[in-house]
Amino acid sequence: MAKNRTFNRRNILIIIVVILLAATGLTGKLVYLIIFKSEDYAARAKALHERERPIKAERGSIYDINGVEIATNKPVCTISVIHSQIKEPERVIKVLSEELGLSEAAVRKRVEKYTSIERIKSNVNKEIADRIREYKLDGVMVDEDYKRYYPYGSLASKVIGFTGSDNQGVIGLEVKYEDYLKGINGTILTLTTAYGVEIENAAEDRITPQPGNDLYLSLDVNIQKYAEQAAYKVMEAKSADNVKLIVMNPKNGELYAMVNAPEFDLNNPYNLINEIARDYIGETLSSEKLHELLNGMWRNACISDTYEPGSAFKIVTSTAAFEEDVLKLDDRFFCPGYKRVEDRIIRCHKAGGHGSQSFVEGIKNSCNPVFMEVGARVGVEKTYEYYKKLGLFSRTGVDIPGEANSIMHNIDNIGAVELATMAFGQSFQITPLQLLTAASAIINGGTLVTPHFGIEIRSPEGRTVKTLKYDTTENVVSKETSETMKQLLEAVVTDGTGRRAYLPGFRVGGKTATSEKLPRRTGKYISSFIGFAPADDPQVIALVLIDEPVGIYYGGTIAAPVIADLFDNILPYMGIEAKYTEEELKKYQVGTFVVPDFIGKTKKEMKDLLKIYDFGDIYSLGDGDIVTEQFPLPGDSVNRESGLVLYY
Amino acid sequence: MVRTAGKTRREKLYRYYDYSLLFLILFLVCFGLVMIYSTSSYNAQRLHGDATYYLSRQALLGGAGILIMLFVSKIDYRAYIRKLPIIKIKPVTVLYFLCVILQIYVILFGEEIKGAKRWIEVGSLGSFQPSELSKIAVILFTAYIVNLAPRRLDKIWGFLRVAVFIAPLLGLVIAENFSTGLIIGLIFVAICFVASKKKAYFIISGIVMGALASLMIFFVDFRSERFDAWLNVETHEKGYQILQGLYAIASGGIFGKGLGESMQKLGFIPESHNDMIFSVICEELGLFGAVALILLFILLIWRIFVIAINAPDLFGGLIATGVLIHIASQVLINIAVVTSTIPSTGIPLPFISYGGSSLMVILFEMGIVLSISNQIKAQR
Repeated sequence: MAKNRTFNRRNILIIIVVILLAATGLTGKLVYLIIFKSEDYAARAKALHERERPIKAERGSIYDINGVEIATNKPVCTISVIHSQIKEPERVIKVLSEELGLSEAAVRKRVEKYTSIERIKSNVNKEIADRIREYKLDGVMVDEDYKRYYPYGSLASKVIGFTGSDNQGVIGLEVKYEDYLKGINGTILTLTTAYGVEIENAAEDRITPQPGNDLYLSLDVNIQKYAEQAAYKVMEAKSADNVKLIVMNPKNGELYAMVNAPEFDLNNPYNLINEIARDYIGETLSSEKLHELLNGMWRNACISDTYEPGSAFKIVTSTAAFEEDVLKLDDRFFCPGYKRVEDRIIRCHKAGGHGSQSFVEGIKNSCNPVFMEVGARVGVEKTYEYYKKLGLFSRTGVDIPGEANSIMHNIDNIGAVELATMAFGQSFQITPLQLLTAASAIINGGTLVTPHFGIEIRSPEGRTVKTLKYDTTENVVSKETSETMKQLLEAVVTDGTGRRAYLPGFRVGGKTATSEKLPRRTGKYISSFIGFAPADDPQVIALVLIDEPVGIYYGGTIAAPVIADLFDNILPYMGIEAKYTEEELKKYQVGTFVVPDFIGKTKKEMKDLLKIYDFGDIYSLGDGDIVTEQFPLPGDSVNRESGLVLYY
Repeated sequence: MVRTAGKTRREKLYRYYDYSLLFLILFLVCFGLVMIYSTSSYNAQRLHGDATYYLSRQALLGGAGILIMLFVSKIDYRAYIRKLPIIKIKPVTVLYFLCVILQIYVILFGEEIKGAKRWIEVGSLGSFQPSELSKIAVILFTAYIVNLAPRRLDKIWGFLRVAVFIAPLLGLVIAENFSTGLIIGLIFVAICFVASKKKAYFIISGIVMGALASLMIFFVDFRSERFDAWLNVETHEKGYQILQGLYAIASGGIFGKGLGESMQKLGFIPESHNDMIFSVICEELGLFGAVALILLFILLIWRIFVIAINAPDLFGGLIATGVLIHIASQVLINIAVVTSTIPSTGIPLPFISYGGSSLMVILFEMGIVLSISNQIKAQR
């Protein structure tokens, strides 16, 4: 056996020294990694481990002028499964397919899919979700969420708008006030393994979501309902393509109602309404076609579509003439049924002509040659100046996205013919809302307002966050002209083309219009009427457009009664009392009287008594000969022509 | 009866036994089990439905290994080069040829795991890696050959003579597993180095070896890919495992996240209980824990060094040196790989990494070293 010599030991020592040096070097590397690289690498590692799970903020509600909720949220749940955490797949499949009403095959496919998390169904009713939670199934997640809910369904659908899958506004006010409504989403920061499974009890950072603010509108659910009723009624009666109806406060631009009949269901915005779907029965729609149809259905035509305003625009022409002092009420005109402008003959709507007439008669008759003459007196430049003052060259600034602007002639291309046609509302296009805004300025004493729905933004606790302000321009029209126009327009209703808008007890002013749609001679018209009340101090102004009515299409005949119907409903609701003139009381047999006591009277006596009083329908019940009970009760004050019920 | 008298005198001397080395070994094995449980429980639960799957296997083999170690430590290491009574062959020769046969077997019929044939299936115990056993064979066989004529090592021809003996096994191991081959080569060279009085030819052959190794790196496809991954660890797709290890080391900080608190072991580092275990140790125990572990290994190596220089004869000293090199090279290469100091190669961390064959072999070697310590005679 060889000896272990000194040089052998020294050699081992050399090896040890080399090892120690290497170990020191590696320790140095370790120190470098931990001290100098840690910030970078550790941050990257953290990013790898953390998963941010957003918690949706509750979207703010939308309220009408009376504080009625018209857009709110419903708690719903999303059911998902985490593949790796499922312990009893068969039970999970059974429970989920039964509770959610899904086919077992569909659930099985998702449960058996090897993904970190698989959504089974969203927008699940809370009660069902709570029941599923009760089963305490491993690997089944129930996440609470909110779904936008519109209690009134289709009411003012194109105004309010709806939200998409991420609760973001898609159209209408929901888009416009997105920033106020949406709130701030919170997050839960969780740690997950490399397989995406959350680690339980890991320290979680939680940022609480902040709910969105509430929006308060000038829209009045009741007025909107009345307006929709009136619009649907005429749309059906006239088999019209669509009916638009806007109701506004002319003094400040607050919109009370905006109807685009047919409306659609806000709770199912992706279902085509019958009016559209019936044209495509039996067809399979391509996704582009469906998308196009949906966009059409969602379109708020009151602000997005332009049309030739027709005779209603004579309001603007007259205003410009009065302002320029080129027109007096008693100026005389002659209408032979047409007017020659340069080499063109432009016809009046009355074939034989209106003959000789004053301007007041001219506007009552809505006579085109009168206004061609008036327009010519104002001249191109001044005409455009007043158009501009009345906001016809710019969007109204209404707080709904997608507003269109007017289509006007270039000022240099306007000859006498163009000027003449413009004077009675042809050869250019504006939106219905632009006409309504211009007319408001004319009748409210000359203030151009910004039409709007939004009034105020409030925090969920009710604190006012922001009061919405809108631009107004005063004195675009003089007070005198405004007064004159109100009187003229009232005359149109009392005894002109607008007489069908006449409402006993209320002073209504207005102007009819019948616009032939382009291309001409296709028999397609837009009948419209713009009306306001009371005529001396307008509280409300409304514009109705009946698109492509079948049969009679004169605005005065079919559109004016719509406004009368609407005003009849909403003026008392708005607290505007009916004040009848003597003449009206007699003519329309309106007024009240006190019901006398009929009890104890015989049938024979009643026959004579009833001749004296102005009851409407009389209902006699029972077989006796003497009145035992009556309704209304004696001493009640009732309207004339009210019914009477008598029990014998 | 001189012999009897001598024996009596020897009895009076204190029979040395390195208890501090034994303590270090037991501590490292236990620490290894703790870390294996910490790193493997998540994957064990995920893959086998039992968090202690890897721990229990390692604990079983570790316990067996400790018993083997204690038994071996009581066998005089010189018995390995004495002829066996009946068959007249030395155990060291038997072991050497057994290893050669196993290496050939594994190349031909080995069980393929992750694209490499390195394992032999041994029933319920799992699989056995013969290249681990080859390490003991090379230590003992090189020490034996050198010990026959240590003076010859002063010349390069003497070194080459030893090389010729070792070459068949070394070649087989390299063919099958480069990194293990590298360790075995290092052991063989180191033993020769210790025995030699002249050093010049080591420097020359060192250069030649280095050149050969780099040729191996650049001409074998997947190794040059590993080299690329090492250079671009943050961007190369094959650098994923190392990068995840670096994330773990860096996120541990100075005092670590605490035992069991590693995030990277949750599937981010593939098989974090294997070769990458050191990175999780850094994450959980921080720089302090990592340096403490390195110091423990240095202490262990120091004890083996003390035994090596005090060994009663050259054979014992050379065996101890071989074991020392084996432990030291694996520790250093493993840490160097984990810290991305060298290109990645699969070397487990001794005592700590999961792997039965590796732990058993190391404990067997420790048994031999303890047996050498037991032959040191100290004055009472």
